[in-house]
Amino acid sequence: MKRRFLFAVLSVLLPQSVIAGGYSAAPGLQERVQSGELPAVDQRLPENPKRINFTANGLKPGRYGGNLRLLMGRSKDVRLMVVYGYARLIGYDRKLSLQPDIAERIDVKEGRIFTIRLRKGHKWSDGTPFTAEDFRYYWQDVALDKNLSPLGPPKIMRVNGRLPVFTVIDEQTVRYQWQQPNPFFLGALAGAAPLFIYRPARYLKKFHARYQDTDKLAAMVAKERRRNWVALHYSKDRQYAFDNPDLPTLQPWVATTRPPSERFVFKRNPYYFRVDQTGQQLPYIDQVTITIASPKLIPAKVGSGDADLQARSLQFKNYTFLKRGEKRGNFKVRRWVNAKGAQIALYPNLNVKDKGWRDMVRNADFRRALSLAINRHEINQVVFFGLASEGGNTVLPESPLYKKQYAEKYARFNIREANRMLDGIGLKDRNPEGIRRLPDGRPLQIIVETPGEDSEQADVLELIGDSWKKIGVELFIKPTRREILRSRVLSGQTVMSIFYGLDNGVPTADFAPKELVPTDETNLQWPRWGAYFSSNGQGGDAPDMPEILRMLGLYKDWSNATSADERTKIWQEMLSFYADQVFSIGLVAGVPQPVAVNNNLMNVPVKGIYNWDPGAHFGIYRPDTFWFRKGG
Amino acid sequence: MVIYLTRRLLTMALTLLAISVLVFIIIQLPPGDYLSTYLAELESQGETLSAEKIEFLRAQYGLDKSLVEQYLVWAWGLVHGDLGYSFEYGLPVTDVVGDRLYLSLVLNFATIVFVYAVSFPIGVYSATHQYSWGDHGLTFIGFIGLATPNFLLALVLLYAANVAFGTSIGGLMDPEFIDQPWTVDKALSVLEHLWVPVIVIGTSGTAGMIRRLRANLLDELQKQYVVTARAKGLSESRLLIKYPLRMALNPFIADIGSLLPQIISGAVIVSAVMSLPTTGPMLLSALQSQDMYLAGSFLMFLGLLTVVGMFLSDVLLALLDPRIRLEGGIKR
Repeated sequence: MKRRFLFAVLSVLLPQSVIAGGYSAAPGLQERVQSGELPAVDQRLPENPKRINFTANGLKPGRYGGNLRLLMGRSKDVRLMVVYGYARLIGYDRKLSLQPDIAERIDVKEGRIFTIRLRKGHKWSDGTPFTAEDFRYYWQDVALDKNLSPLGPPKIMRVNGRLPVFTVIDEQTVRYQWQQPNPFFLGALAGAAPLFIYRPARYLKKFHARYQDTDKLAAMVAKERRRNWVALHYSKDRQYAFDNPDLPTLQPWVATTRPPSERFVFKRNPYYFRVDQTGQQLPYIDQVTITIASPKLIPAKVGSGDADLQARSLQFKNYTFLKRGEKRGNFKVRRWVNAKGAQIALYPNLNVKDKGWRDMVRNADFRRALSLAINRHEINQVVFFGLASEGGNTVLPESPLYKKQYAEKYARFNIREANRMLDGIGLKDRNPEGIRRLPDGRPLQIIVETPGEDSEQADVLELIGDSWKKIGVELFIKPTRREILRSRVLSGQTVMSIFYGLDNGVPTADFAPKELVPTDETNLQWPRWGAYFSSNGQGGDAPDMPEILRMLGLYKDWSNATSADERTKIWQEMLSFYADQVFSIGLVAGVPQPVAVNNNLMNVPVKGIYNWDPGAHFGIYRPDTFWFRKGG
Repeated sequence: MVIYLTRRLLTMALTLLAISVLVFIIIQLPPGDYLSTYLAELESQGETLSAEKIEFLRAQYGLDKSLVEQYLVWAWGLVHGDLGYSFEYGLPVTDVVGDRLYLSLVLNFATIVFVYAVSFPIGVYSATHQYSWGDHGLTFIGFIGLATPNFLLALVLLYAANVAFGTSIGGLMDPEFIDQPWTVDKALSVLEHLWVPVIVIGTSGTAGMIRRLRANLLDELQKQYVVTARAKGLSESRLLIKYPLRMALNPFIADIGSLLPQIISGAVIVSAVMSLPTTGPMLLSALQSQDMYLAGSFLMFLGLLTVVGMFLSDVLLALLDPRIRLEGGIKR
C-alpha cells in the first residue's frame, strides 16, 4: 500500500515518465524499480543508447501506454513480432540504407573484414549483459558444434566454401574475417528473418552438453520429453520463432504467452536499447496482443475494428469492404506500396522437357510477341480499378535503379507487331480456327498453370486468353497447388506458369541481383539451371543458352565488385537485358496493399512500402516509435 | 447376446487396427512430408531455409526413417496412451489439444440439443399436417437450410451479429477472455458467441432430421393399427404419442452412431471459417501441413468414436425396437 501511495505521489510529480540520468522510461516500469525488481532506467539502457532521429523522419515524440492489437492467421505467426520489432545488429532505415542498430558501429574493410562493436552496458531482456561472449557461444558452441549443426554454419557464412576467422577483440568487439569479399553478410544481418550470429549464452548454456552437468541435462531432457540434449537445445534456442518466453531477447516486446494459445501477449522489454530524441526509452506502447483468427475472417474482423494495425491477410480485393467499415471501426485504410516487381507475371519455362515447346519459349521474339499481345491497361481497369501500374516485371519507381524503359519494354499492347514477330519466326501456318501451328504441326495451345491461391490470377488469364486469340495463340488455365506447380515446373512438364513477380522490387545496388539469374530451383523460368547453381553443379542442368551465360557472368562480376558505382552499372546492365529478353512477362505492378491503422495510432506513415525483405513489413518504420494518442 | 457382444468387440479392435494403418498411409499419401509443407509456407512469407537445415530438421523429427518404422513407433505409443508429438506446435499432442476438446464438446452438445429440439416438433407437425401450408412453408425453410453453404451462412450471421449486437467476429469468446480462468463473464461471453455456430452447424442436420422424421411418421400413420386405434376412440394426441411416434423414433437413435464422431470433428469447415477454438480447425490444419501425429491422433479418435457410436446405436436399437432382432436366423 505504502509503495502504491509513493508511486501515486511520484506519478503526480512526474506525470509523463520517470527521469534518471537524463533518460526516462514508462511509468509502469517505475513500480518495479521501486520494489527493487528492476534497476533504474539509466542502469538498464546501454551507455550510448540508439537515439532515433524523430525530426528527420517526420515523427512526433509520443506518450507511453496502450495495447496494440494485431491479428494473425496461425499461432506460428508470432514470429512476426521479431520482424515488426526489427531490432537488428544493422538494419535498413526508411530510405533502405543500412544503419547500425544493436551494434554501435560496424567497420568493413575491403568488403571482407567485418568488425562489430557493441554498445557498452547493453543488456538482454532478463538483465544479463549482452557481450562478445554471446557471439563466441554462437560461433564455437552452436555453429561449429558437430551435434547442434551437423552441417556446419549457415551457407551465408561461407565464401567460396571457406569460413571466416572469428576473433573476440574485447568484451564489446568481435571480428569476422574472410579471405574474399562477402557481399551478403550485412544484408543477412538486416533481413526480415535475420541471420542471428549471437545467442543468449548464459541462458542456453544450461542446455548445452559442454557446459551442463550430464545428469542434470538428462533430467531436463526427460522432463521435456525430448529425444536428446540437441533437440532440447534446439527447442529452447528459437530466436526467430519467438515461442519461448524464457529466452532472453533484444526485441522491443518480449513474449509472455507459452504456446499453444489463441491469444499471445507481448510486454515491453525494460532493457530495450533505443530512445527517442528527448531521451524517453522506447517502445511507447506497453503491450502487443496477437489474436489468432482464420485468415478468411481477418478482413471482417478488421472491418469491425478488431485490430489497430493490420496489413497481413488483407488483400486488395478487401479494400472497398474495409473502407466501408472505417467509421464504425475507428480506423483508416491506407494504401501502401506493395514492393513486388509485379503483382502478376507469366513465366515461360525455359527448361521444359518437350523439344518443340522448348525451342519456342527459348526464342526471345516468341516471348516478346506474347508480352506485346497482352492488354495491360484493360487488366488494370477490370481487375484492379485502374490503381495498379502497367508494365513488365522489373524494379519499381521507389528503387534508385528504376528506369522507365525497363517497365515499358515490350509492354505496350500491339497486336500487329506481335503478329509480325510470330510470322517472322516461322509460325505462319494456322489451323482452320486460326490458331498457329508449331513447326511439328501441333496447334499453339499454351497451358498456363496457376498455384490456385489467388482468384485474380484466373481472372487475368481469361483476359489474356482473349487477346492472345488475336495473334493465333490459344490459352488454357490449369489450377494446381503451389508445391505441385513447383515440382511440375522443375521436372519440365509445365510450359508456362503464372506467379508473383520479383520478390524485391525496391533493391539498391547493394542487394544481390539474384532474382534476375538462375540461382535457385524455385525460379519458375529456369528451375533446372537454378538447381545447378544452388547445388554447385551437383544437381540440375548446366545452362546452355548464351543469354543466360551472359547474365551469370554479370552476376559473378557483381559479387566481386568492390565499389558501389560498379555494382550500379552491373545492375543496370542486367535489368536492361532482362527487360529486353522478357525472361518473365510482367503484367501489372504496384498494386496497393491495404493497411488498416487505428485513428489514435500515431507515427505510422501515410504512405509506405509493404515488403518482406528489405522492409520487414512494418519493421523499417520502427513500430517501437508508434504510440496511441489517447486511450487505445 | 453375450456372444454377440464379444464378437462385436473383437471386430471393433480389428477394425481399429485397420483404421490405424489406413490413417497412417493416407496421411503419408500426398507427396512430401511435414517439412515440405513447412518450407512452402515459409517461402510464401518470403523466407527461405537452407538445404542443410532441412536435412537437420528431417533427422530431428525422425522423418528420415522408413514408413514402417514410423508407423510402429506411433502405434506403440498409442497403445501406451502416448499420442506422439506435434511438429507444427513443437509440443506433445495432448498439450496441443488441451481445452479445445471441452469447447468442442460444449459446442456440439449444444448443437445436438438444438437439432433435436427444433426438428422434433417440426417433423411431427409437418407429418400430421401433410401438404398443408404449414408443412410446405416449413419444408421450404428446411430445404433452404440444407442448400445454403454453411460457411456463407456463417459469414452472414457473424457480420449481422457484429453490427446488431456488437459481438466480436469469430471465436467462441471475446479476445480478452482467452487463456483466462473461468468466470461468470467468460461463460456469458461464450454463450453470446455460441448461438451463431450452433445455428450454422445445426441447420443442415435439422433439415435432414425433419425430413426423416416426417417420412417415417407418414409411413406409420397409414398403417392399420392407427386406423383401429382411432376407430376405438383414442384421442388424436394420445394416439400419436403412444404408437406411431415411437415407431418413427428410430432415426433419432440411429443417428447417435454418427453424432459421436461429429462431436470431435466438430463441423470442421464451419469451425475453420469462424475460427472457433475447437478441434475442427486443428484437424484441418494438421492434415494440410501433414503434421502426422496430431492428425493421426485425431483421426484415430474419430475412428474410435465412430466404432463405439455404431456399437451403441446398434445395441440401443435392438433394445428399443422389437422389430430388430439380432439372432434372426439362428435356431436354438
